[in-house]
Amino acid sequence: MSQQAIFVVAAAIFGIGVYGALSQQSFVMIMMGLELMLNGAMLAAAMVWAMIAGGTPKGQLLVVVLMTVMAVEAALGFALVTGIYRVRKADITEKLKKLKG
Amino acid sequence: MIVDVVFWFLAVLAVFSAWRVFRTDSMVRAAYWLLISFVGVGFIMVMLKAEFLGVILILMMGGEMTIMAVFMVMFMMNPAGLNPMIMVHQNRAAMAAGFGSFGLLSAVGLFARFPASVVPPRAQATAELGTELLGDSMLVFQTAGVTLLAAMIGAVALVSVRGRFGRADEGSDAPEQQPAAAAAAAPGPTVSDATAAAEPAPDVAGEDMPADHAHGDAR
Amino acid sequence: MVAEALSTAGLAIAVVAVLLGGTYIAAVLDVVFTRLTMRIAVRPLAAAALPLRRAAQLALQRRTLTERPDAGTWALAPAVLGALAAVSLAVVPLTGTVIAVKADTGIVVFAAAMALVVVAVYLQGWSPNSPLSLVAAYRFVAEGLSYEIPFAVVLIGTALPARSLALVPIVTSQEHLWNVVRQPLGLPIYLVTVLALGFWGPLSLPEGQDVAGGTSVELSGVPRLLWRVAQLNVLVAVSAMGAAVFLGGWLGPWLPGGVWMALKTLFLLALLVASRQYFARVRTESFVVVAWTILTPLALVDVFMAGIQAMVAAR
Repeated sequence: MSQQAIFVVAAAIFGIGVYGALSQQSFVMIMMGLELMLNGAMLAAAMVWAMIAGGTPKGQLLVVVLMTVMAVEAALGFALVTGIYRVRKADITEKLKKLKG
Repeated sequence: MIVDVVFWFLAVLAVFSAWRVFRTDSMVRAAYWLLISFVGVGFIMVMLKAEFLGVILILMMGGEMTIMAVFMVMFMMNPAGLNPMIMVHQNRAAMAAGFGSFGLLSAVGLFARFPASVVPPRAQATAELGTELLGDSMLVFQTAGVTLLAAMIGAVALVSVRGRFGRADEGSDAPEQQPAAAAAAAPGPTVSDATAAAEPAPDVAGEDMPADHAHGDAR
Repeated sequence: MVAEALSTAGLAIAVVAVLLGGTYIAAVLDVVFTRLTMRIAVRPLAAAALPLRRAAQLALQRRTLTERPDAGTWALAPAVLGALAAVSLAVVPLTGTVIAVKADTGIVVFAAAMALVVVAVYLQGWSPNSPLSLVAAYRFVAEGLSYEIPFAVVLIGTALPARSLALVPIVTSQEHLWNVVRQPLGLPIYLVTVLALGFWGPLSLPEGQDVAGGTSVELSGVPRLLWRVAQLNVLVAVSAMGAAVFLGGWLGPWLPGGVWMALKTLFLLALLVASRQYFARVRTESFVVVAWTILTPLALVDVFMAGIQAMVAAR
C-alpha cells in the first residue's frame, strides 16, 4: 500500500470514468462516468492526506468537499436528465440534435 | 503483509467493477457494479486511517446507487439486459482519452517525488475532522451546506409537476411545444425567449428509436 | 497470531449465534403475539416449535422460478441482507468487554450498513422479473429514503453526550442516566425508523397484501426461508443497537452485563415484533409525508436538545 500503488489505482478508476463519460450515449451512464472520476479523485485525495500531507485536517476537508460535489452533481444531473426528457423526449445524447450544424 | 493482500484485493475489485459498469448489459447491475467500486474505495480509505470518510462514502453511495438504478430503469430502454446492446459513440476517441488520462496521472504518481509524511499512528482523524469543520473551515462547511440546500431546491424546482410555467397537467410546457389538449386555445405564458412561436412542429416525439442507436458488436 | 485469529473466529461465531438465536426468539414472539391477539390458546411448547416446523416446511418446499429472473442478484439479496445485519451486530458491545469489531466510528458503520438495506430489498424486488415485486421494491425505495435522515440524526444525538462515535463510550456515557430519559424523542423515533428499516409490521410496505406479498411474492422454498431469516436478523441487530445506545447497554445492578444486554434487546425486540399485531400497515404516501414533515424535524429537535445538554455539561 504505497503512494505509487494507490496513485495508479486512482488513476485507473479515473481513466475508466473518462472513458465512460466520453463514450456513453445514455445520460445516466455519462453520470456514472462522472461519479467514477470523482471516485478516483477522492481516493487520490485521501491517499495524499494519509501519506503525503501527514494527516493535516484540511486533507480530510478536501475529501468532504469532493463528496459534496458528488452529491450536488448527482442531484442536479438527474434533475436535468428528467427535465430534458420531459421537454425533448430524449434519453440518449444522440437525440439532442437541435444545435447540430 | 496482510495489509498489502487486502489492499490489492480491494484495489483490483474497485477497478474491475468500474470496468464492468460499462460492459454489463443489465442496467441495474451497472448501477450496483458502481456501488461495489465505491465500497472498495471506501474500504481502502478506512485502511488509510480515514475511517469516518470511508464509512460515510459507503453510506452515501448506497442510497445514491439505488437512485441511479431507479433512473436507469426509467430512462433506458433495455434495463434488464435481456437483449445485448452496447450504446457507445466515439468509442476509439474515448478509449484513447481514458488511457491517456490514466497514463498521465500514473506518470505523475510514479515519477514525481512527493514528500512522505505519514499520518501519526495515534491520530484521532475523526475528532480532527470535526474540529476542523466547525473551527477553521466553518465557512467551507456552511457553504457546502447551503450549496446542497440550493441543489435540493433547484432539483425539485426543475422537475416538480407544478413546473416553471404552471401545472404540467394544465398544459404547462416549455414555450416551443404545443400543449396536447389546449392546442389553439391559450397562447401559453409569455416568455422572453425568442424561440416561442417561430418553432415548427416539434421533431421529437415521433422518431423511431432503435434506428438511432449505434449497435456495437453483439455481446 | 493464532490466538488472535481464534479469538476473531470466536467473536464471529458469537455474533452469528446471537443473530440466529435472536431470530428464533423473534419468530416465537411473533407466534405468541399472534395467538394473544387472536384470543386463542398460546400453548408455549407448540409455539416454540412452530417456527422450526415452518422453517423445515419451507426448506423442503419445491422452489418455483419465474421467467428470466436475474439469478445472480436474486441469490445475492437475502445474503446481502443477512450480511448487513451481521455487520451491524458486530459493532454492538454485547457485554462490557465482548465486542466483535471495535470500530472508532461504530455508530456510523451501523448507519452505513443499515443504509445499504435499501440495496438488498431493491435487488430482491427487481430480480424475479415480476411486476408486483418490482412495485414493492419501489415502495421500499421511497420508504428507505424517508427513514434514513431521522434514523441517522437520532443516532448522532446519542453520540453527542459521549463525545465519541465509538459504541463503548456511548454506552458508558449512560452510567448516570440512560439516553431514553435524557433524550425522550430519541427512542420513539428510532423504533419507528427501524420498523421501516426492517419492513415489519405497520411499515411493511414492500411486503403488503395489496401487492400480494410484494418482494417475497415470487419466493418459495429455501429463498423464502432465507429472506425471512434475514429480515428477522435485521430486527435483532437494530434491537441490540437500540438497547446499547438508548437503554444503557450492559449497565445495570446485580446481574452481569451480558444478561442485562440480552434483557434489554429482548424488550425492544418484543416491542418491534408485537407492533405487527397492534397496528395496521400504513400507506406509502402517509409514511413518506410523516417521515419528512414530522419525524425529520423532531429528530433535529432531538439532536439540538442533546447538543445543548452536552454544551451545558461541558461547562
